[in-house]
Amino acid sequence: MIKHHPTPALLLAFTQGQLGASLSIAVSAHLEHCECCRHKVLALQETSAQYLDDDVELDEWVDNEMIAAITDDDYEIHPKQSMPLRVNLKGHEYTLPRALQSVGLSNWLKLGKLARAKVDLNEGEVHTNLLHIEKGGTIPLHSHKGFELTLLLAGEFKDEFDTYVPGDFIWLNDANTHSPSTENGCLCLTVANNSMHFVQGLSQVLNPIGKLIY
Amino acid sequence: MLANNLRTHHVNMVVTTSKQVSNTKHPELCVWLQDVAIERDKLAFSKLFKWFAPRIKQFGIKQFNNEAQALELVQETMTNIWRKAHLYHKDKGAPTTWMYSIMRNMSFDMLRKLQTQRTETISDDIWPVDNILVSEDIDNFEDHLQNRELKALLEYLPEKQKQVVVGLFYKQVTQEQLAQQLNLPIGTVKSRLRLALNKLRQLMGESDD
Ligand SMILES: [Zn+2]
Repeated sequence: MIKHHPTPALLLAFTQGQLGASLSIAVSAHLEHCECCRHKVLALQETSAQYLDDDVELDEWVDNEMIAAITDDDYEIHPKQSMPLRVNLKGHEYTLPRALQSVGLSNWLKLGKLARAKVDLNEGEVHTNLLHIEKGGTIPLHSHKGFELTLLLAGEFKDEFDTYVPGDFIWLNDANTHSPSTENGCLCLTVANNSMHFVQGLSQVLNPIGKLIY
Repeated sequence: MLANNLRTHHVNMVVTTSKQVSNTKHPELCVWLQDVAIERDKLAFSKLFKWFAPRIKQFGIKQFNNEAQALELVQETMTNIWRKAHLYHKDKGAPTTWMYSIMRNMSFDMLRKLQTQRTETISDDIWPVDNILVSEDIDNFEDHLQNRELKALLEYLPEKQKQVVVGLFYKQVTQEQLAQQLNLPIGTVKSRLRLALNKLRQLMGESDD
């Protein structure tokens, strides 16, 4: 069962379109797994729309040229068929979240039991990646200078705090350190606003790797 | 970036469940949408435009801080309403909710293009249209107050605000019911909710710096 969900404030910001693409994609992917949050977002959407009903003072405004230009053609839009991307990693076929179906992905870069593909969103210091950990793989104990969001898409992993299932939305900030490991392998979507920083003895030599995988 | 987004956020929150959302406050919107969908009725569309365009423009000015971009948002949103009217079904929710979601999607893609120079439209993938429309069972979902992160955030709220958030958001009672239960004027419930949501957003913002 999913135990880790976006906070109410994050769901509200998502619903109102106020998050960047990276976090919007992550919340959307969580919703594919979580009926409970789907219902919350629908409720928030209905209530967010209510401000349209408020009898605020508005200037009467109409643009007849714009109306004529819009109604000049009879084109109808039909909903885009969902065509989620699939990736094959170490013999596993994974279906990616619908929210990723139109964005660019880099090639996979492999490092030992880890592989990552960058999601091309161009959001400055906020980096979004797909991260695959092969069975038996571990990421050494690390922290982040900013935040790190991990959305488990498939498989399982555990860290110092919990054991996670697909759909779990795991938000850590710079006060947390953790070391995820997986028995059978997993695929995650990660969003972080700084590279990871390995904190323990020898694994500090891995810090350049931290820059690569996040 | 998240923090900034949350601070510039336009909110006018009134939390109720779907049952309280009046489909009837603007019954004419439904009729106009239907006439546009079925008959491609240009007069009905211009009535929709008169009602909605000033509201989109106001939203756009807040969002982009720029009149030209606000007008572009009006054009994009109203074009989509003209082309997608046949997708609206009145038994699936208020017309304002449907129009809001179109405006939100257009605004998201425009803002993203401005900020990141990425031109793919991804809003329809993030908020799929079937998700926008289906809103049954809103009262039946289980809450997940057990979420420890969420619980922790609520602990930052003053008791009176917490009471309102828990009541409205998690127990899904209406504002009117809650006002009665707490023996408070409805305006007090609304203002406590507004304060609580501001505080929650602040907490979220602070946690990413
Ligand atoms: Zn959830």
